[in-house]
Amino acid sequence: MNYPVWQLDAFGGGLLIALIAIVHVYVSHFAVGGGLFLVLTEMKGLREGSSEILAYTRRHTKFFLLLTMVFGSMTGVGIWFTIALLNPAATSSLIHIFVFGWAMEWVFFLAEIVSLLFYYYTFDSLSPRKHLILGWIYFGCAWASLFFINGIIDFMLTPGAWLTDHNFWSGFFNPTFWPALFFRTFMALMIAGLFGFLTSVNIKEATLRHKMVRYCGLWLVPPLFLLLGSALWYKTALPPAQQELIFIVAPEMKPFLTLFIWLSPLLTAGGLAMAILRPQGVRRPLACLLLLLGILYLGCFEFIREGGRRPYIIRDYMYSTSIKKADLPQIQKSGVLASARWAQNKKITPENRMAAGKELFTLLCLPCHSAGGPLNNILPLARRFSPAGMRSFLATMGTVNPYMPPFAGTEEEQGVLADYLTTRLVQGVADSTIHISKETIAPAPFNQETAEYLILASTDKGMILSSEPEQSGIDFSFAPPTLRTQVVLRGTPPSILTEDIQVTYRIATDNGPLIGNMTVKGTAFEATLAAIPTVNKDFRPYLLAEIEAVKDGKVIAATRLKIGISTEIGCRNCHGGPWRQQGRTGLSRQTASAILAIHDKRSKTHLSQEFSQGQIVVCGSCHADSSRGAAGQPGLLNLSAAMHGFHAAYLYKNNNSCAFCHASSDQGATGKLEDLHGTLGLECTNCHGTLADHAMGLLKQEQQAQKPGSSKLLTLLADKGEMTQAAIKGRTPWVMEPDCLTCHKGFQQPDAGTAFNTWNADKKDLFTHRHSDEGFLLCASCHGAQHSLYPADNAYSKEAGNLQPLQYQNNPYPIGADRGCAVCHTVAMEDELHHPGSLGTFRNRVE
Amino acid sequence: MIPTQLVPTPDLLQVPWGWFQLLLSTTFLLHLLVMNIMLGWAIITFCNHAFKKSIPAESQLISQKLPFTIAFTVNFGVAPLLFLQVLYGHFMYTSSVLMAVFWLSIVALLILAYYAAYIYYLQFSKLSGLHTLISGMIALFLLTIAFFFTNNLSLMVNPESWVRYFDHPQGMLLNFADSTLLPRFLHSVFASVAVGGLTLGLYHDWQSRQGNQAAAARIPSAMNWFVYATIGNFGVGTWYFGGLPVTIRTVTGVAGAFLLGFLLAGITAAILSLIYGLQHRVRHAAGAILVAITCMTGVRELVRRQTLAPLFSTSDLKVAPQYSPMILFLLLFAAGLYLVWYMIKLVLPAKKEVQS
Repeated sequence: MNYPVWQLDAFGGGLLIALIAIVHVYVSHFAVGGGLFLVLTEMKGLREGSSEILAYTRRHTKFFLLLTMVFGSMTGVGIWFTIALLNPAATSSLIHIFVFGWAMEWVFFLAEIVSLLFYYYTFDSLSPRKHLILGWIYFGCAWASLFFINGIIDFMLTPGAWLTDHNFWSGFFNPTFWPALFFRTFMALMIAGLFGFLTSVNIKEATLRHKMVRYCGLWLVPPLFLLLGSALWYKTALPPAQQELIFIVAPEMKPFLTLFIWLSPLLTAGGLAMAILRPQGVRRPLACLLLLLGILYLGCFEFIREGGRRPYIIRDYMYSTSIKKADLPQIQKSGVLASARWAQNKKITPENRMAAGKELFTLLCLPCHSAGGPLNNILPLARRFSPAGMRSFLATMGTVNPYMPPFAGTEEEQGVLADYLTTRLVQGVADSTIHISKETIAPAPFNQETAEYLILASTDKGMILSSEPEQSGIDFSFAPPTLRTQVVLRGTPPSILTEDIQVTYRIATDNGPLIGNMTVKGTAFEATLAAIPTVNKDFRPYLLAEIEAVKDGKVIAATRLKIGISTEIGCRNCHGGPWRQQGRTGLSRQTASAILAIHDKRSKTHLSQEFSQGQIVVCGSCHADSSRGAAGQPGLLNLSAAMHGFHAAYLYKNNNSCAFCHASSDQGATGKLEDLHGTLGLECTNCHGTLADHAMGLLKQEQQAQKPGSSKLLTLLADKGEMTQAAIKGRTPWVMEPDCLTCHKGFQQPDAGTAFNTWNADKKDLFTHRHSDEGFLLCASCHGAQHSLYPADNAYSKEAGNLQPLQYQNNPYPIGADRGCAVCHTVAMEDELHHPGSLGTFRNRVE
Repeated sequence: MIPTQLVPTPDLLQVPWGWFQLLLSTTFLLHLLVMNIMLGWAIITFCNHAFKKSIPAESQLISQKLPFTIAFTVNFGVAPLLFLQVLYGHFMYTSSVLMAVFWLSIVALLILAYYAAYIYYLQFSKLSGLHTLISGMIALFLLTIAFFFTNNLSLMVNPESWVRYFDHPQGMLLNFADSTLLPRFLHSVFASVAVGGLTLGLYHDWQSRQGNQAAAARIPSAMNWFVYATIGNFGVGTWYFGGLPVTIRTVTGVAGAFLLGFLLAGITAAILSLIYGLQHRVRHAAGAILVAITCMTGVRELVRRQTLAPLFSTSDLKVAPQYSPMILFLLLFAAGLYLVWYMIKLVLPAKKEVQS
C-alpha cells in the first residue's frame, strides 16, 4: 500500500525473479561448494604429486572465477534490484530488519573477492601451503555468505519468535535456519560435483579424465543422500500449517514436489553413469544434462520453499500484496483505495468504477499475477468467472484458498474488482438476456357433473436438477422423478382405487415418448423413472406427462402432469465455459472439464482422465447420495455435504447464493421459484437457512459420522452463518428436511419465522410421503409437489404448474380449496376431514 | 494528486540514523574512488584506442586491472546502497520502480561490461582491430549505468516528478525535467576521467621509483587526462551548482555553513590538485584530490538533505534499538579488513618466494 506497483503485464507473476533467482542461486551455491572443491582438488594433486591434477585445478579455477565472480556476483545484485522493484515494501522490511546481517554478508563478499583473485593469480607464484590458505579463506568466506543469506531467506519462510519479540537474532536463527543451512551446504557440494563433471570431461588425457570424472562423482552422490536427510529435517522444522500447505493443500506445489522426488534418483543414476561410462560421446552430453537437471532440482526446491510462505512474502508478517498482516483489518475497513498511497481513485463513483477497478487490480493482483505471461497468468483465470462468481471467489481468498491473501478491501471494492476483472480485463462469463416465450397448456378435460373418476397426480420433487450426464460427461443430478398418482372414485364418500385398474404414463420428449405403467404403493400408484428424461431442445423447465387410469380396457380418467426438470446449473459462474443449450442452460463439457480439473487438483483424483476417455464421472460413486441410494465411499462426505460444504465458503456472502447454482433466479432460463411461497416473496433461505447455515447442517451430520473432511469445512464456515454452529442441528440430506408444519402450526397461517433447523426425523415424514389426517390422501395430491405448490407461477406457462386444479376446479388453488369438496365428494362437506382449516377460503389469491 | 502524499512511510531503524550516515558516507567514498578509477580507465583506454595510432602500453595495464576495478566497484557499491536504502529507502524504492526497466537493465549492462572487460584482458593480444570496439563497449555500458544511477538519485529526491507514474506505470520514466541531471552526470564522468588519469600517473610514478625509466615518461600523458578533465569539471560543476534550486544554493544556518564550508574546501583542494597536476607532482595531486572528493561527497549529502528537507529528515526516522547486530558487524568488519590485510601480506612476497 506504500509503494507504486511496476506494471509488468506478461512479465509479471514472478517471471523476472524466477529467471534471475534460479540461475543466481545455482551459481552462488556453486560458488560455495566449488570453493571447497578447488581446495580439496588442489590438495589431492599435491598429495598425489600430480601436476596434471594441479593444472586441471587451475583451469577449473579460471572457469569458476569467470562464472561465480562475474555472473554469480552480478546476478546477486540483480536479485536485490529485482525484489526491490517487485516488492519494495518487503525489501525495505528485510533491509531494515537485517541491515547488519546484510552488512556482515558484504564483509565476507569482499573477502571472497580478494581471496579468489589472489588464489587464481598466485597459482604459480605462491607456496602450496600459502596458496591453500587462500583457498580455505575463500571457501570459509563463501560459506559464511551462505550462512548469512540463509538466515534471511528462511526468516521469510519461518519468522518464528521474531513475530513477537522483533529481535534480530530470533529472526535470523529462525526455526528452519539450521536444516536449511545443512540442506544448502549439501546442495552446494552437489553442484560443485556437477560443474566438476563439466570441466573434467574435457581433460584431454583419458586416464586422468576418467579419474577426475569419478572424483567429481564423489561430490555428487554422497552429498545427495545427506541432502535428502536434511530435506526431511527441513520439512519437520516447518510449522504444521506450512507443511500442510506445501504437501497437502496447495496443488501448485505438486509438480515441483514430484519433480524434486524424481530428480533425486535421476541425479544419483547420472552420477553413477558418469563414473562408469567412459565414451566421451556419452559423458559430455550427460555432464551437460546433469547440470541442467541440477538447475531443475534446485529450481524445484526454491519454488517449494517460496510456495511454503504463501500467501505471505514474509510469513505471518506481510502478505505478498505488501500489506502487513497487522494492518489488514484496518484496510478492510477503510478500503484499499483509501489506504494506498499510490491510488488516484480514493472513492468509487459510477464514473470511475472501472478506473478504480484497475487500480485495485494493480495493487492487489499484479504483485503475484501476470496479465498474459507464462507464470501465474490471471487472464484465463478471470475468463472463467461471471462478475458474481468472481466476487464470491475473492471472498474466499485466505480461507478456502489459503495460498492467496484475504481480500484486503471493502465489499464495494470486492464488487468493483470483480467487475473489472470479468468485464474489462477480460470478457468473463456473461449471460445474455433470457427471452421466455410463454405457452398455453390445456389441462385434460374433466366434467364435474358426469365424471366418475379423477386422477390426482404429483411428482416427488417439484424441480429436478439435471446435469445431463450423457451430454456433459458428469453426473450429479438429482434422483430421477417418481410420479405418484391417486385415483379417486368420486362419491359420497369418495374412495381411492388401487385394485382392478391400471395407471399408465406417457411423457412426450424430443427423443420420443416414455411410456410405462405405475404400480401400487399404499394408496397411490407410483413409477420411478429409470433416468431423468432429456429436456426438449427448445428448453422449457418441464416435461408433460399424460396419465391415464384404465379399467377393464377402458380409460376411466386422465390427467396431465408437469414434471419439473431444469438443466440450468450455475457451475459456469465460477468454473467458466458456455451454456450447453441455446446459450442459456445446460452444463457444457467445457464447464464439466474445468470442474473435474479443480477436483483433481484439490482432491488428488484422476477424474479428468476418465472424462477425457469418454467416461461419465458419477459423483455419487464416491460421495454417498441417499436420494439415489448411492452408498459412496466410506470416509468421504456425502454429495450434498460436499457440494454445499465446499461451495458455501465461496458463496455464503452472495445475496442470491442459492440461485447461483440452482435454477431459481428470475434472471435465469428456468425462472424464479414457481411455488406459491416464491410468489409470496419467500426465499429459499426461509426454509433451508442461509447457505452457510444450510451447509453447516449437512456437515455437522457428517462430523458426527466422523467423516474427515467435515471439520475443516465447518471451521471455514464457523462465523459465516446467521446461527451459531453449535445451535445448528445436523441433518441427512433428502431424508431430514424442513417441515411445513414448523411454520404452519396446526395448519394455520404462519407467523414470521423460519423452518430451518427443525427436521423431520424419518423419510416417511417427508412432505412427498405424508398423508392428510384421514390417512389416505397424499398432501402432494392436493397441494402439488414441494417447490411447485399450488397456485404455482411457472415462468413459461401459467397453467403448467397448476394443471390438475385447473382441470378439476378451473382455478389454480389446491384441490378442494374454497370449499370445493365436490371435486371428490360431489357435494359440499361440513367436516374438516383432511386437516384443520381445509374448509376455509384459500388465503393467497392470485391474478 | 499531491506529490508529497506519495512518499511512503519509512521503516524502523535499529540504531540512530547517525551510525548509518557515517557508514553510508564512508563506504560511498570508497565506492566513488574505485568507481572513478573504473570508469575513468574505461574511457581513457577507449580514447587511446580510438584516437592513437599505436596501442599504448598503459592500455594493456588497464586491461589487466579493469576487471578488478569492476569487482571492487560493485562490492564497494553494495554497502553504500544498503545504507542508503536504510535511510532513504522509501524514496529510492519508489524512484527505482518508476524507472524500473532502466534500473534493472543495469544488471545486464554490468554483466556485459564485466565479461567484455575479461575478454579485453584475456584476449588482449589477439583482439587485433577489435580493441576500440571492445573498450568502447565497456565504456559505453559503464557510462550508461552511471547515467541510470544519476537518474535514480535525481528522481528519488523529486517527488513532484513521481506523479507521471499514473500515466506511465511501466517503469520507463527518466528525470530529464531535472535541470541538474546532465551536469550531475557529466560531473561524475569528468571526475572519473580525472581520477583515472591520476591513478595511472600514480602507477607510473611508483614504477619510475621502482627504477622503470619508461614509466616516468608516461606520467605527463596520464596527468594530462587529470588536468584537462579537472579543468572541465570546474565548468561542469559550476553548471551543476547553478542548476540547483535557489533555496539550496542560498541555504543558511548550520546546514548552510557546512555546505559552504565543504564546497569551498573542495574547490580549494581541487584547485590545489590542479596546480600539482600541472607540475606533475602526482602524489601531491592525489592527496589534494582525495580531500576534494571527500569534501564533495559531503556537499552531495548536504544537497540531498536540503532537497528533501521540506518532506523528510533522517532524524525523523524512528528507532527500535538493537545494538548487538551492529557491534558484531563492526567486529566482523574489522576482522574482514584484517583478513584482507593478511592475504595481501601473504601474497606480496610471492615473487620473492619464486625468485628464491
